[in-house]
Amino acid sequence: MSNLNADETVVVVRDVCKEFHRDQLTIPVLSGINLELSTGDYLALMGPSGSGKTTLLNLIAGLDRPTSGDVIVCGQNLGQSSEGELSKWRSRHVGFIFQMYNLIPVLTAYENVELPLTLTSLSRRDRDDHVKAALEVVGLQDRMDHYPRQLSGGQEQRVAIARAIVTDPTLLVADEPTGDLDAKSAAEILDLMHRLNTEKEFRKTIVMVTHDPNAADRARRILHLEKGLLVSEVTDNRTRATVQ
Amino acid sequence: MIPAKYNLRNLRVRWMTTLLTVVSTGLVVWASVLCFGLTDGLQYALKVTGHELDLIVLRKGATDEIGSGIEQKVAREVASLPGIAKDEQGQPQCSVEFVTILTKPRRNNGGTVNLIVRGLESVGRTLRPGFRIVAGRDIEPGKFEAMTSRSMAARFENLAIGEKIEVNRQYFEVVGYYEAAGSAAESEVWTDLRDLTIARKTPAAVSAVCLRAESPEQRDALVALLADDKRFQLNAIRETKYFEDQMNQANAVQYIGYIIAGFLIFGAMFAAANTMYAAVASRAREIGTLRALGFPQGSILLSFLFESVVLCSLGGLIGCLATLPFNGLSTGTSNQFSEITFSFRFGPRVLAQGVMLALVMGLLGGILPAIRAVRLNIITALRER
Repeated sequence: MSNLNADETVVVVRDVCKEFHRDQLTIPVLSGINLELSTGDYLALMGPSGSGKTTLLNLIAGLDRPTSGDVIVCGQNLGQSSEGELSKWRSRHVGFIFQMYNLIPVLTAYENVELPLTLTSLSRRDRDDHVKAALEVVGLQDRMDHYPRQLSGGQEQRVAIARAIVTDPTLLVADEPTGDLDAKSAAEILDLMHRLNTEKEFRKTIVMVTHDPNAADRARRILHLEKGLLVSEVTDNRTRATVQ
Repeated sequence: MIPAKYNLRNLRVRWMTTLLTVVSTGLVVWASVLCFGLTDGLQYALKVTGHELDLIVLRKGATDEIGSGIEQKVAREVASLPGIAKDEQGQPQCSVEFVTILTKPRRNNGGTVNLIVRGLESVGRTLRPGFRIVAGRDIEPGKFEAMTSRSMAARFENLAIGEKIEVNRQYFEVVGYYEAAGSAAESEVWTDLRDLTIARKTPAAVSAVCLRAESPEQRDALVALLADDKRFQLNAIRETKYFEDQMNQANAVQYIGYIIAGFLIFGAMFAAANTMYAAVASRAREIGTLRALGFPQGSILLSFLFESVVLCSLGGLIGCLATLPFNGLSTGTSNQFSEITFSFRFGPRVLAQGVMLALVMGLLGGILPAIRAVRLNIITALRER
């Protein structure tokens, strides 16, 4: 389903700095970050609050632009893209999984999953096929007519995952995907993300921000950030290098 | 595009604020359309009265029939001028008329107002647009009889069929009701010319001569002839122009109406804007999510504008529908000297004005909140609870 070849570089983060301005103050959030991800990578970004992990995730997802450096994802230099180009790019290449699920409350599970497909040129019938397939992957085809308020937290997050994969994006970004769930539901969500990453049918590249070591353990790579710096990287549960 | 059901269901979910906004918009549209219907009815009444070929001949210097006085002998000479159209019997379509103002009480203790009583000959009735008797019969000369419209009979005392209206202690019995295509003629009481001049003790004087020319060229020739001929000392005015001048009153009502409507619209726009600002504030995270999923800023703008327009259109629709029971309802207003009756007219044009008003309210009320939605920073919006 993925439209990139195996081991193709999906994400390149090169010398990226990000600063925020508040009144007269300049607050550096990320400093000189370098990172590469290939197809099928599963990266967990960890670190204390304010370390810059969500900022890095937002940069990779095309929700924000770096102050300096390059963020190239799926061949697109996001720092040099206009707002309109970024919107279009996100709809094609990125699936979002949020901590609070962020489903639209007035739309049913089916309609929430269908939402990203309305940005494509697919026919109604094709959209229907895609939505049902996505809901089947997350095991919620029998809940498609339910509104978010009629679902449990775990089910809502599964619908959100169905929405994230329905356009078959290259990259899945997840910001604390289990942060609002009980242990059982969290484990189910992590299993689902593991499937999406490992099964040949999907082979999604995943970037996840988490505070939860159990969640991070499911990732192939773990990056630790502190005060905007990449301080350590763990690959396949083996400490490989301390960066910077 | 963001599906319309997203907006429609949000309106339903926030039903209380939706209802309040719809009601306030509906009230504004209702009041505005009533005002438009009122002025349209008044304008129609005055406009329909004028015929392209008709002239009103007044004393030189007079601007209306009340201020005009013509010797009856001179008035009769006008009837013999060339260029006046003839009826089927070969008689000139020229009516010598006497108009007087009486102060008469309205029904239901509505106070007294001026009432136009017109003495005219039978040919004069045929000069009025769409004249027909709808109840009772025509007046007969020498019997001191009167006729009027149903709406006047409903508004004034002593004007119903069988009742008697007093003019200088002479009583005229109302014998019939007529219609004249909703024109200003329906705001008058008609009697025989001679009977009325006798009652008013002015048998040698009349107010005006109403005539129909054979053609536009003859009409213009008659205007020139009467203006130039020193014997007559008369002034012929095209009837359409005469009633256009009378319409100034209607225009004043219209402008006042527009000003009031403007203030109301301003208020309703604030209501709509307030509702939409609240919607944007409470749905910031949804907006952030939609933007993250790839919906462009234009989609967000259109989505919130659409919601605002739907909100106001609902109000507009209800406001327009609520005016329909008033359609055709008679009312009256003072017209220089007398009371003129006319009907509310809610034709397609007036209703379209109401709908346009609602759309404008929706667009103007929704544009700033929609821009705010577009300008929301995605990351900040996603953090909203």
